Amino acid sequence: MTSQAANPFAMSRIDPVAMAGVLPFLAVLAAWAFAPTLSDIPTYKLPAPTIVWETFVEMTLDGSLLWEIWASLQRLAVGYLLGNLIAIPLGVAIALNRAVAETMTPVLSFFQSIAGIAWVPLAIIWFGVGEGSVLFVIANTIFFASIYSTVIGVQSIPQVLYRAALCHGASRWDIITSVVIPGALVQILVGLRTSMAYGWRALVAAEMIAGTNGIGYMTLEAVQWYQTEIVILGMILIGVLWLALDFLVFRPIERVTVRRWGLLS
Amino acid sequence: MTDATYASGASAFSFRPTRAQIRGAFGVFVVFALWQISVWIIALPPYFYPGPSEVAGAFVDLIQKGILPSYLLDSASRYMAGVSTGLCLGIAFGLLIGLSRFWSRLLGPIINFFYAIVEVAWIPLLVMWIGYGFDTILIAISYVVFFPVLYNTLTGVQTVQKVLVNAMQTLGASRMQVLTSVILPSALPNIITGFRVGAGFAFRGLIFAEMIAAGSGIGFLIFDGAATRQTDRVVVGMIVMGLLWLALDRLFLRPIERATIERWGLVRAKGESA
Repeated sequence: MTSQAANPFAMSRIDPVAMAGVLPFLAVLAAWAFAPTLSDIPTYKLPAPTIVWETFVEMTLDGSLLWEIWASLQRLAVGYLLGNLIAIPLGVAIALNRAVAETMTPVLSFFQSIAGIAWVPLAIIWFGVGEGSVLFVIANTIFFASIYSTVIGVQSIPQVLYRAALCHGASRWDIITSVVIPGALVQILVGLRTSMAYGWRALVAAEMIAGTNGIGYMTLEAVQWYQTEIVILGMILIGVLWLALDFLVFRPIERVTVRRWGLLS
Repeated sequence: MTDATYASGASAFSFRPTRAQIRGAFGVFVVFALWQISVWIIALPPYFYPGPSEVAGAFVDLIQKGILPSYLLDSASRYMAGVSTGLCLGIAFGLLIGLSRFWSRLLGPIINFFYAIVEVAWIPLLVMWIGYGFDTILIAISYVVFFPVLYNTLTGVQTVQKVLVNAMQTLGASRMQVLTSVILPSALPNIITGFRVGAGFAFRGLIFAEMIAAGSGIGFLIFDGAATRQTDRVVVGMIVMGLLWLALDRLFLRPIERATIERWGLVRAKGESA
């Protein structure tokens, strides 16, 4: 990363290592393109890459694809912020008191283990098919994944650090800001990441079962109409969006925190 | 992470309840009490918000009719078949990519790409290609397990101490012997960690796959219960699912991980200090 920034010409050279990695993609594309002609796979099961590409261009031009992506991403953002903004402070508060933490741990780990997709049917009964159900499921998934991680993080801080801070006359607030939060930060970050991974799956799954728009809905809805090209397009988009989220949101956060606090797990 | 993991894992096996366990049991009791009280306050029809008694009734009913045991058996066999397939493939590819620069450069990028296409996204296409049932679920679950196992095997293989490999080779070991007596044992803690992570994602994957592509199993129970307005069955399914995962994780996966780290992680720690 840094070496590329230092030498702008490095980018223009063709990297043989990167080229080797391109080969399997070409092989998959070629297999995909020629499979229907070589064997008798019907096109409704495997439409040619060109058809998927045309569908992509068409849906991009009429704006419908962007609309579905926007629907999914804004839902994910709302669910992620909502879930984490409640989960992390609440997790810290719960974990500060040992008795409360010990009382809550089994309950939290139980809810953490059913969080996500299993709530979808119940959510449909409560909120009906649509926005409410999907948001409930995402926020629920993210909340429990994150709060569990936060509680574990605070509990794993060595007692000796609290005592050291108290010996130096730290107030309760000092302890929270300079012992608890930095000490639990690695686990909080793990929670932020895991909750995103679970939340993303829950988003796609919830949209498939309970949604009325979004990438997941688009993908499963197309199955009923045998529009395999839309199914494949949806899959590729789900992959690309996740890579983009990882690259644009998580890598920078990790870099900054590692530099600031020197945390390497 | 590890400290907390050990502490909670160790407490599962002591027979005298610790203070944390008593408090935990109290927490569970409070949740049940709140649930029952909220049912009295909300007072909506049971299909909308079933109380503990309805759910207990549905549980007994499902057992007496033999539905729950047969669903559990179906889910368990799908899960075990999928997880073991994914585990074997993940280890094999992890070793291949970890031990060979050639394969690593060739396959690295495409594996990263497919990792990003979560299993949830595959299920619609698999349903179109293969149809509903065992095969679709098997592929989806192996797919989920494959990636974490592969990535962790890779880390394990890459952090093997060169000195040990060199020592073996100096003593005239074949490539196979180096693999079986140095690389695999020292990568084992990582492999098991990958296995536990993958098993966790696979469990959720199983529930979703059964909702979309099966006519039996715990996921189907949850889904079908909602479709037929038997909400008490939905809640039974959710509770069974949660308890099943906790039992699997605490009684099986974590003890294995701990034992592996103790047995083989220590060997590595000694080697590092020497």
